[in-house]
Formats: sequence, C-alpha cells, structure tokens
Amino acid sequence: MTAADPAPAPLLTVRGLTVRFRMPRGRSVAAVTDAAFDLAPGSCLVLVGESGCGKSVLASALLGLLPGNAEATGTARLTDRHGSTDLLTAPEAELARTVRGRRIGLIPQSPAAHLTPVRTVRSQLEETVRELTGTPRGTALRAAAVRTAARAAFPADHLDRYPHQLSGGLAQRAATALALAGDAPLLLADEPTTGLDRELVDRTTDELRRHTRAGHALLMITHDLAAAERIADRVAVMYAGRIVELADARRFFGTPGPRHPYARALLDALPDRAFTPLPGMPPELGALPPGCAFAARCDRATPACATPPALRDGVACHHPVPPDRETDHARTA
Amino acid sequence: MLELRDIIAGYDRRTPVLRGVSLTLAPGEAVGLLGPSGCGKSTLARVAALLHRPDAGTVVLDGTPARGWRHRAPRAQRTAFGVLFQQPRLSADPRLRLADLIAEPLRATGRPAEVASRLDELAPLVGLGGDLLTRRPHEVSDGQLQRACLARALVLRPRWLICDEMTAMLDASTTAALVAVVETYRRETGAGVLAVGHDRTLLHRWCDRTVHWTDLAPAPANPGAA
Amino acid sequence: MASTTAPAPRARARRAAGARHTLRLRASAAVLAALVLAVLLVPLLFPLDQQAVDLAGKLRPPSAAHPFGTDEVGRDLLLRCVYGLRVSLLVGVVAALTATVAGTAVGALAGALGGAADRTVMRLVDLFSSVPHLLLGIFIVAMFRPGVWPVILSVALTHWLSTARIVRAEVLSLRSRPYLDAALTGGASRWRITVRHLLPAVLPQAGLAAVLMVPHAIWHESALSFLGLGLPAHEASLGIMANAARSSLLAGDWWPTLFPGLFLIVPTLAVAGLAGAWRERLNPRRRSELTL
Repeated sequence: MTAADPAPAPLLTVRGLTVRFRMPRGRSVAAVTDAAFDLAPGSCLVLVGESGCGKSVLASALLGLLPGNAEATGTARLTDRHGSTDLLTAPEAELARTVRGRRIGLIPQSPAAHLTPVRTVRSQLEETVRELTGTPRGTALRAAAVRTAARAAFPADHLDRYPHQLSGGLAQRAATALALAGDAPLLLADEPTTGLDRELVDRTTDELRRHTRAGHALLMITHDLAAAERIADRVAVMYAGRIVELADARRFFGTPGPRHPYARALLDALPDRAFTPLPGMPPELGALPPGCAFAARCDRATPACATPPALRDGVACHHPVPPDRETDHARTA
Repeated sequence: MLELRDIIAGYDRRTPVLRGVSLTLAPGEAVGLLGPSGCGKSTLARVAALLHRPDAGTVVLDGTPARGWRHRAPRAQRTAFGVLFQQPRLSADPRLRLADLIAEPLRATGRPAEVASRLDELAPLVGLGGDLLTRRPHEVSDGQLQRACLARALVLRPRWLICDEMTAMLDASTTAALVAVVETYRRETGAGVLAVGHDRTLLHRWCDRTVHWTDLAPAPANPGAA
Repeated sequence: MASTTAPAPRARARRAAGARHTLRLRASAAVLAALVLAVLLVPLLFPLDQQAVDLAGKLRPPSAAHPFGTDEVGRDLLLRCVYGLRVSLLVGVVAALTATVAGTAVGALAGALGGAADRTVMRLVDLFSSVPHLLLGIFIVAMFRPGVWPVILSVALTHWLSTARIVRAEVLSLRSRPYLDAALTGGASRWRITVRHLLPAVLPQAGLAAVLMVPHAIWHESALSFLGLGLPAHEASLGIMANAARSSLLAGDWWPTLFPGLFLIVPTLAVAGLAGAWRERLNPRRRSELTL
C-alpha cells in the first residue's frame, strides 16, 4: 500500500507473526513464519494455501486458541473503538471477556457442529446476544436476536427450529448470525465453505461479502480458490508457513495473474484452468529447507534460492514472474 | 458393465433416499454424478460398491446380479471395486501406518507376497515418497492421507472405482494430482469410474459424461402422493 | 525481538497446568510402585506368623516397634496391612483382567454381529445388571468354601458387564466408519475386520476400564471379607481387619481401623491418578496437539 492510498486505518495489523510448536525429542515445527499483513474495515483478505501450510494455525494464534505446546511471537494488533490490543500477548481472561465474540467474530468451519443440537436457533441467538451485549431478557432481547438473525439473512420463521431441522445453508447462516451477535468489527472465517455444494459456497461467500460491505473486516481462510476469487479484495498465498504473495485479488485471479511461481502453479491446478498438479509435495513444517521452501518444486529455481527470499512488493521470490506477461514472453523469445 | 436398476434404498424403509434410480457404467468409462449434498448420491455410490443393501432393485456386475451386500457379498465381487470417500481421516484405520494401510487389502485376501512389489509401484504413482509410508494417519495431512487411500483402492486392481466426493476436502493441486492418477489407471486398465460430487467444473473436466442427480430417478417422483 | 521471544503468559499458564498434571501422574506411579514392591518383598523377608499372638501387647498404639500399632490379639498391624494389601491386589488385578477379557469379548461380539445376537446378549447383560452386584457377588461366594479364588470369580462375574457395554458402544460407533467400508471392499472377512480393525480400536478404552476396575475389585473383596464371606477369617485381609477393629474403635482405639482403611484408600487414589493420565492420553485432542 502506498502513502497515497486513501484506505482507512487498518483494524488488524500483523507483523512478524511466528508460531513454533515444540514437539517431543526437542523437535520444533515452524507452523507460521514471519507473517505480516494489514486488514482495514470494509475489506476482505483471503488466506489461501494447501492443507497443512499453517493457515489455520495463524487463525488460532489470532484468537489465542493455540495448543499448549505452541509459542507465538511477533505482534497482531487489533485497533478498534474498544481500544488497541496485541492479540498475542493479551491474557486469556481478556481475550475471553472482551475479544472473542465481541471484537472478533468467528465463523466456524462446520456450522452444524458449532450449534448446540438440543436448543433452538432463537434460544442460542438470544443467549449469545445477552452474553455479548448485556441486553437484559425481555422484548428488547427478543427484538435484538431477530435483528441479528435478519442481518445474517436467517429467516425469522425458522428461528424456533433445532439445528438438525436446518439445511446446510441455513445452518451456516445461523452460525454466521451467532458470529455477528457481538457486532465484532473483525470477522474471522476458517474454511467456512468446506463440504458445501458449489451453489451453497457461492451463497455463503456472497453473504460474507455483504457483511464486509456493511463495514466489517473479514479474514477468510480457505483452500477453495474459486470461493476466494468470489469474495477477496486481497489475497495472501501461504506456503510452508510463510506468506509468499500478497496481492490485489483482481490482479491475482485475472491479469496479470500471480507473480509467485507457487501461486501461479496453484491456479493452474484448477479444473477450469490447466488442471495440472504441482510436482512433488510441500515440505514438512518440521524440516524446512534453509532457503526458499518452494525451490525444490520450482522450475524457476536457481542457486540464489538457497537463501530465503523476503517479501518485497507483495511477493517473496528471488525470481518472480514479471508483473507484465508480455515482457516475459518478449524476454524468453 | 455395472448396472444399477430401479434401486430403492435408504436408512428407513418408509422414507427411502433413493426411489427407483437406474444408472449404467461401461468399462473404461468415467461417469460424473452431480447433485447437491444430502440428496442421496453417496448412498447410490455405496449401493453400487455393494456396501449398502438396497430395499429393492438389482445391481448387475458384469452380467452377474449381486446377491449379497457388505460381508455377504462374495469376495471376488467386493474386490472388483475400489472406493474413495470424502474424508480421508475417517477412511483410514488410525492405527495403521500408511504402508500397512495400502497393503491391507493384499493381506486380507491372502496375498502378502505381493505387498513389497505393489507398494513399490503404487507409492511413487500417488506421490508418497520419503518416510511418509512409515507414518500413521495423524502424522500426515489430509491430502497425503487421501493419496494413501487412493493407493489402497488401486492395490487389488479393481475393475470399478467409486469416488464419493473424493476431492471435496482437498486443495486444487492435490485434486488435480489424484484425478490424474485415477485417469491414468482408467486408461491403462479399462476400469470404469463413478465420480460422485457437487463440483460441476471438476466433473465436467474429469468425466466422459456427467449426469445430474435429478435425471436418474424416474420422471416426477412424488411418493408423498402415493 | 528480544522482548517478544519470551513465551506468552497463556503458554506459561498452560505449561504450569501440564506440569501439575505430570506431577500427579508421577506421584501416583511412585506410590503404586512402592506399594507393589512392598507386597512383593515384605512377605519374603518377614513371614506372617498366624500364631504370633501376644495378648500382653494387644491394642498398643503406634510405636517404634510397631509403627501401625498392634491389633486385638497383639499382632503387628503394619505387617498385616501389607499382607492384606497383597491379597487385595491379587484379587483386584486378576479379577479385573478376567472381567475385562470377558467383557471385551462379549461386547465386541455383540457390537460386531449386531441384530438379534446383539439384542440377546445385551438383554442378558441388562438382566445381570439388574441384580445389585454385591448381592450377586455374595450369592456366588456362598456357593464355594471361603478362599481367594471364589472371591476372584465373584468379582469377575459381577464386573464384566460395564466393560461389555463400553466395548459394544465403542464398536457400534466405529461400525459406520468409512474405513470399515474400505476394508470390506478390500476383501476383508468379518472376522478380520473385528480382530484387526475393531478390537485394536477399543482396547485402550477397555484397558482404561480395567485399570479403573482394580480398585473397585479391591473394595469388593474387602466388602465380602468384612461381611465374613470372603477370605477365611484367619487370613490377613483388609476387610477382615476392618471388621475386627469395629469393637476397638468404639473403645477409642483408632489405629486398627485407620491403617487398613488407608491401605484401601491410598492405592485407590493412586490408580485413579494413573487412570486420569491415561484418559488424558486417549483424548484425541491432546494426541494431535499439532493440528495444522
């Protein structure tokens, strides 16, 4: 982002976020390394990558939900009307009381599992609204719950149903309504479309998109590139625990396309593109090479790739694909 | 030929999920079956692989009608299929190392002598190298585990592959890689493939023909009025 | 960077909880090991002389010569407690093992076969469970002459039911797993599926049930012996000792009751501590702490 950019002040500023898991026998797993990004209100950043690249760990770190053998370093500053908090150092009590649900709403991976099966959507929504906003029981609470449901496009006549009586799409909306109940400025969606039909994926992403238009900032984590293309303002590509490309979504999915060779290959694996898999497998996070983690699978690799590339102009590669494809062809011709 | 004729099946006889569904799969053919989740296409896949006994209807396997399902099916009929499911975590015995997972069908059918040679062939084919074969399911990613499940499905050289949402949990690259392995196998052996899923783009790219769920049932199925 | 490399307070709190957990596990293991060593070694060094009656020194409070004091006929209570625990542990371990093997076999069979076989077996289990198990246990020991083996039989026959239920429930929950479908398609027989895929999956649960059953069996033995139905009255059994101490307790002599009681309670707590750690191990969330 340039200084001229009129973008509003970022809501979430992540710098140098690194997560290490201590494993038995003194091993250590580098789940996330040196992640940095900003997220402004009203925009959507989608974190894409293969399964096991560390993107869910990043989300857990932001929510303070890492397991006990993990250590998170760096900063993740959440600045909103409630103040400014470093999510990585804030004590658990503060995260539980003032952050989760109130300042960060979590849209879960599996809505059916997220809802309490023995209670109606209305009772769960009312409880959540009461808990998060302090609205006392009564007509005000009932009205607030209905309003929250409406914001998530959850039909009011389904409020008295139990989760198992809902279709997958409605369950997703119910879970979204719960996430919106605290009116959190930041929404975090971890693989919200896994296991859904394409039509439902499209509907879910469109609804999430609507919430960012309403002023929420959305951090979505997914391996579904089609869903990412539908919703993202910006895309962060994660590979082996590092963000290797951070780009404007329209340029990334359209022209000129991704600049990191990994991101380019990942898009080429899509069935509506070349449908060719990347060669080999991603490296183990417990045994990363000292240099660029993608070098072993990369057709542009040179000896320079033995040193890790820094993220420059939104791409962490010693030999990025030039921004303009035409010049690339001209050079090779 | 794998023929499913007028299959009625489900989990409760009064409200079957499948109401008179027919589908034919020729050897060497890849058929994509499209439908929304929860419509019963997975049940159809399980009926086809002799894993779910239908309430009515017949499954004809190369001219022989299937008489038993699950363990009552003759072993030769059961092993004519290779199956792949949506969630590799649930499809793998968590206690088996990947090598044993892949070799299990060989051992179960009394052919332990072939284990080493088949592992040597299949592991590179599905892209499992290094020490991955010595690990247990919880030590590998979903994608790696699904690769092992694919190797297991291929280890007995089945004539039919039933892929039920095989790639729904996987990223684009692993999806492309696994579909490429299935397609190579189909080309080389003339096996038939039934790919069940909801991703139109993927199934159109993958299969010779795709049928939509609603085209399988006999015209307006309205059992509620009956 | 130096300031940020310090572990976050949350991680520290979790680690402290982990350390407490480890401490409890180690303490439980140490106590159990000490008790087992004692019951194995003490009888080798100090044979129990049943005739060592010393009426002059009866009901002496704990002293240097008799750390636990003496009983109503002047026998050393410490030695008798150790001998009593030996019997208790023998009964507990053997009975728990027998009950677990029987319960696992029945539960796995019922779960794997399903249908009418399952219904028949489980109704039988219900029938057995409907009789209070101490009553059933009394009935069983009453058929034999007092001794260790009837007690073991009594405990085993009344305790396999819960294991059968646990194992059957576990098998039923596994039966719908796609990996069993894959095994069927891979040509596995029903026997192979049960033995190779189902049983190994339920063994940890069954093992945990077995460990938790040991103290249960120990108490069952003491109860039977307390009622005079377990071991012959001259044997050193914690239940018999507790019974014999009743009259002296009324007279204000606390030690003949306290120490046999402690010998029942301490191993029970230690086993519970171990079982707790085991259960934590079984918890899949802890096992896959690293979920990427």
